[in-house]
Amino acid sequence: MNEQLSDDSQATPVTYEFEFDGQRVRAESGQTVAGALHSAGEHIVSRSFKYHRPRGLLCMSGRCPNCICTVDGTPNVRICTQAAKPGMVVKSQNAWPSVKFDLLRIFDKLHRLMPVGFYYKRMYKPRWMWPVWEKVIRRIAGLGKLDRSHGADGVYDKQNLFTDVAVIGGGLAGLHAALAAADAGVSVTLIDDQPALGGHLRHDPELAESRLNELISRVASHPAINVISSATVFGCYDENYLGIQQGQRMIRLRAAQVIAATGCWERPLVFENNDLPGVMLASAAQRLLHLDKCRFPGEVVIVTDNAQGYRAAKQLRAAGTRIAAIVDVRDNPPESLEGVRRFLGHTVISASGSRHVGGVVIAPLAGHPKQTLSCRWLVQAVGFTPANSLLYQNGCKLRYDESVDQAIVIQHAPAMHSAGAVNGLHDPGNAAADGQRAGKAAAEALCSPCHRVSDPPAENNLEIPRHGGHKEEESPPCHYVAPSGAKKKFVCLCEDVTEKDICDAIDEGYSNIETLKRYSTVSMGPCQGKMCQAAAIAICARHNGQSIAETGVTTARPPEQPLPLGVLAGRAVHFSLVRRTPMHAWHEQHGAKMGDAGNWKRPQVYTSVTQEYEAVRQRAGLIDVSTLGKIELRGRDVVKFLEFIYPNRFANLKVGRVRYGVICDDAGIILDDGTIARLGEDRFFLTTTTGNADAIDSWFRWWLAARPQWDVRLTNVSGSYAAMNLAGPRSREVLKKLTDADLSRDAMPYLAASEIQIAGVPAIVLRIGFVGELGYEIHVPAQFGQHVWEAILEAGREFNIAPFGLEAQRLLRLEKKHFLPGVDTDALSNPLEADLPWIVKLDKEDDFIGKRSLARSLQRGSRNKLVAFQLNEPIVPDLASLVLTNGKLGGRITSIGQSPAAGGTIGLAWIPASLSRNGDTIQIQINGRLVDAVVHDEPFYDPSGEKLKS
Amino acid sequence: MVSQRMWREHELKDQYDVVIIGGGVHGLATAYYLTKLGVKNIAVLEAKYIGFGGSGRNTAIVRSNYRTPEGIAFYDLSVKLYEQLAADLDFNVMFSQHGHLTLAHNERGVTGLTERANTNQLMGVNSRIIFPQEIQQIVPDLNVFGHSRFPIQAALYHPPGGIIRHDAVVWAYARGVDRGGGHVHQKTEVTAIEVQNGQVEAVDTNRGRIKTKMVLNATAGYAGLISRMVGLEIPIETHPLQAAVTEPLKPFLNSVIVSSTLHVYVSQTDRGELVLGAEVDDHASYSLRGTLAFLEGAAIHLLELFPHLANVKILRQWAGLCDMTPDYSPIMGGTPDVKGFYMTVGWGTYGFKAGPASGYLMAELLASGKTPKRLEPFALTRFYDDCLVGEKAAASVSH
Ligand SMILES: Cc1cc2nc3c(=O)[nH]c(=O)nc-3n(C[C@H](O)[C@H](O)[C@H](O)COP(=O)(O)OP(=O)(O)OC[C@H]3O[C@@H](n4cnc5c(N)ncnc54)[C@H](O)[C@@H]3O)c2cc1C
Repeated sequence: MNEQLSDDSQATPVTYEFEFDGQRVRAESGQTVAGALHSAGEHIVSRSFKYHRPRGLLCMSGRCPNCICTVDGTPNVRICTQAAKPGMVVKSQNAWPSVKFDLLRIFDKLHRLMPVGFYYKRMYKPRWMWPVWEKVIRRIAGLGKLDRSHGADGVYDKQNLFTDVAVIGGGLAGLHAALAAADAGVSVTLIDDQPALGGHLRHDPELAESRLNELISRVASHPAINVISSATVFGCYDENYLGIQQGQRMIRLRAAQVIAATGCWERPLVFENNDLPGVMLASAAQRLLHLDKCRFPGEVVIVTDNAQGYRAAKQLRAAGTRIAAIVDVRDNPPESLEGVRRFLGHTVISASGSRHVGGVVIAPLAGHPKQTLSCRWLVQAVGFTPANSLLYQNGCKLRYDESVDQAIVIQHAPAMHSAGAVNGLHDPGNAAADGQRAGKAAAEALCSPCHRVSDPPAENNLEIPRHGGHKEEESPPCHYVAPSGAKKKFVCLCEDVTEKDICDAIDEGYSNIETLKRYSTVSMGPCQGKMCQAAAIAICARHNGQSIAETGVTTARPPEQPLPLGVLAGRAVHFSLVRRTPMHAWHEQHGAKMGDAGNWKRPQVYTSVTQEYEAVRQRAGLIDVSTLGKIELRGRDVVKFLEFIYPNRFANLKVGRVRYGVICDDAGIILDDGTIARLGEDRFFLTTTTGNADAIDSWFRWWLAARPQWDVRLTNVSGSYAAMNLAGPRSREVLKKLTDADLSRDAMPYLAASEIQIAGVPAIVLRIGFVGELGYEIHVPAQFGQHVWEAILEAGREFNIAPFGLEAQRLLRLEKKHFLPGVDTDALSNPLEADLPWIVKLDKEDDFIGKRSLARSLQRGSRNKLVAFQLNEPIVPDLASLVLTNGKLGGRITSIGQSPAAGGTIGLAWIPASLSRNGDTIQIQINGRLVDAVVHDEPFYDPSGEKLKS
Repeated sequence: MVSQRMWREHELKDQYDVVIIGGGVHGLATAYYLTKLGVKNIAVLEAKYIGFGGSGRNTAIVRSNYRTPEGIAFYDLSVKLYEQLAADLDFNVMFSQHGHLTLAHNERGVTGLTERANTNQLMGVNSRIIFPQEIQQIVPDLNVFGHSRFPIQAALYHPPGGIIRHDAVVWAYARGVDRGGGHVHQKTEVTAIEVQNGQVEAVDTNRGRIKTKMVLNATAGYAGLISRMVGLEIPIETHPLQAAVTEPLKPFLNSVIVSSTLHVYVSQTDRGELVLGAEVDDHASYSLRGTLAFLEGAAIHLLELFPHLANVKILRQWAGLCDMTPDYSPIMGGTPDVKGFYMTVGWGTYGFKAGPASGYLMAELLASGKTPKRLEPFALTRFYDDCLVGEKAAASVSH
């Protein structure tokens, strides 16, 4: 919040205009939108959520829901912390036709029909009524409107910072804490949500010692302190990881120690019509006076139980406002104000007026006799709610302490501290002392051998007498709430929840504070309980006959302040990751149709599947497979590791050989497949599929982490190598032109792995053939990828070589019955059923991942099988067509294609094992019709593998 | 309107015929249907307050467009029970069946959804594949044709799917139990279960010991811990699942939108809040603290789908615990190892929608001792027999 507010103390006023609901409003520079509206006499700025009651400024600190408007298209903006800007367009929300005159106010009159939770008890009989009602509800629900002219085009950014000590809050305690820590020699980051440091002293000048400015300048100029202003810490996550919003920027801050010096805010009183425009918190009035330079025409009544009420009264009077009376809850207050009428031991019972305060009814705490005072403003200074949600978020334990009437830390989270008013120390001198203490403690904790030292319980720091915050003596029964049976005593302004609603809900059985919240919706609105939680808990406690401490609190959840999705997303929406292979430019220049494969872009087809297919089967083809995951493993225990990871054997893999392998999880389910080449005694080169590159990397690391004694070093080299597959009967002749190495069948047979030079570049060459032809998978350093690619194509020109894409590759491999993990297999497929029983070596002595499950699966026999089939009709069904047996689901097709080799439509399908013998007929549902297909055991192309091994 | 108490507080008796551990939708629904079957000397024991667990934290998506015939049939029963639930429990649970769309952004996604549509139709569930034009018609604000890294290619459209007021379901079931004569004990934590000669004999709680021959474990995220009390290891790993909600906006989104490719889903409640979520956290944990990484990821992906939401604000985030099974299907039934110990667990990220069906069938099992046919595929023994009900593809991001 406060993104655009700057410290205006020295600026010369410039006036300009903005628009509010179509009207021109003048503002002085440095004023908030709310301040300008106040000056302009616009006191109704919003309508309430449920009853559409008029609402005006209440907190002036971005905490209550009363001033939520749409600003320049952004819905739900709190205009009390939004600087007014020339030409700005501000619109009220949730009112029809206008905020001044809202027809939906009728709901306020109908409140009897809408008691707490009424919607759970109505509108569902008969059944068809609910959808009808729901349409109506959805028409009136919600606050701001989605602005469709705004895209994700704002300028957002993110910053990562590190600090020894993070101090949250730039009030007196925070300033002293920052200085004390920095003076002790550690780095400090001070984060404050206001445009200038000083906390509430900024708008309570009487309290500010003359040294405040000096203190601020010492902090600002301290070389070890980094001040981040106008920035809100919205979350305190695990291990002191702070999320901070500063305008359009999100800062992630890692802090070794955190000091929460977050202070407190004023809470409102609960009385009849306490939501009328003109009812305001004292701190709000002070902010308007001192920061927004506003005036308060007409008379003010002040209700208070503390010194702040008197200060506010004095300041208002100094600014020309007549103080009609001070209503003091206490019988013997130490403060007084000369010439002002006082009612001691009194409180406010109700406010009157329909669109603005016209007067208030007051009475002694017992409730009578009542008397009426006429006034235009009711200013309330009745105590504080500590801003402790970050403490709760970080796992501190707090307990309600009656003597200070607030929750106090009884156990801090590791490496966390708190200081000042949040600890119940409201007096400036005490807050300063507490800040110094916390600053020193944090610095000391950093230097101690165990960094996780944290603050002692705040209770212990409270030997210093506490006052100023709240009444010292007796605590009257729940003076958050005026003694009257009136109905419209609002506890939760966001949701229009009244005291009566809360009591009714408890009577219905929702007596737990959490269930109460969910049922009555108290504290579930935009302010997330900032204004109402204290009163709600007090009422709940009273009504249940429990203490406040027993009643507990609802869980504090981030963000502390509402946080725009754009800020969270940063620029990631606009710059989504796109991965390109080293040969990408070449593909684009040569007309490849590119497609997405995860984050990668891959050529789907260059010319046509038929042409590319023919090139591979008859001559030579080249495909870019740089997207494969590539992992290098080195060390004495790699064999042991591979034996453990893979179901098949690797101990007997000779140097210079490559082997196919499938990786299974503990349940024997196929995770991935790939090749494992042994390039040296202790050196292996592995590939994974494109989609699983990251997952397999983590899978390996996960298992290795638990085996630190094994000598296995893993390097992910996926991005370091470009890779391509040269395949086809002429491929040996092509490659021969680019190397001195002996490529003969004897020197480099099928499944050989060698490191040779190709086109002058060191390469790992694997003789494998996914597409079923004589083939070479060539891995070269990424920077030479395009060079080697072009060299091979050039060398192959005389043989009419062609690049081929994924579509041709898919057909070629289908003819060989090779499955693709994740396409032809799913989360239930194991290698036994996926037609790879030979790959599972249950006789391996040592355990391997999935061994037990696979053994059991073998024992019980397969239920389903992955088989190849050929369709009896010349049609190509959709992928995912179903295989039916007797009208029931039998299985599904996972791959399909038109095979020149088979002379028809072929595919892979999961079917019941009972139908999986060669020649069995299965039935596939195609456009509502059943078509026969025949199970085919052997590959459709080169079943004996002669070509592959040639 | 005269306010009536939803549920009462009772003394803990020293004997119940059935003790149900966990005051979430599953425990309460089972108890409710038990009372309907005339089994009334029962107690639901809840360590905190009813709805403390997943049942108070979920994003309330109800649908039946699953993948396996077993799953589809089961969840379809639940949707049908939910349709009647407001009338049955005399409480508006606000089931809004505005439709559910699962988006596909690549060929593999389209294939997976087509397969589901085909299987759903075979099982009589209203579900079909639709393409960009129609998607845009149903969700005018969705970024279907604008700039996008992974353009939407198709969607699985499931008109009966939607969202429900989850708390209302929990409360209404609790009231049903109370009116039916059963006890709901909040703040009552089970600390041990006594087993003698392979038979459950009693449970210990922070409020005292209760004799019982029949215990139902309905504790979702804590299911592994409870099972261990009788010495039973079940294939469940607990992972946090996170969600977040925005400030209320005038309703513009009626359907539930899910994208597995973008790891995000979103719906808009009748209050106008957008509810968003993703998949479970990678690592097993019992932590209920949310992470910043979740919020960032969800925001990035949501803005791909709805770029206009950039200046809409997140109000709060939270996490719940999910009891994940290897096949993303639940475990319902007893165990041959411990007589009298039953479970309805493994509800993972998707169990809220199953409350009525599982409660209904589990009650039948507990009351009669016979396993209803529709529960058979979900027995614990399927993990020994290797007979899994694979729903991962249909349940990892759509809950
Ligand atoms: C963020 C999130 C979103 C989700 N979204 C969806 C969705 O959209 N659709 C859907 O269908 N499902 C969804 N789920 C899943 C769904 O919430 C759960 O599967 C379901 O609520 C489980 O209900 P339950 O009754 O089994 O358990 P829970 O509701 O978790 O209740 C278990 C209860 O057991 C209690 N307990 C634990 N230990 C003890 C003990 N020792 N003694 C006594 N009591 C004990 C706990 O306090 C808890 O209240 C989501 C879950 C989360 C976390």
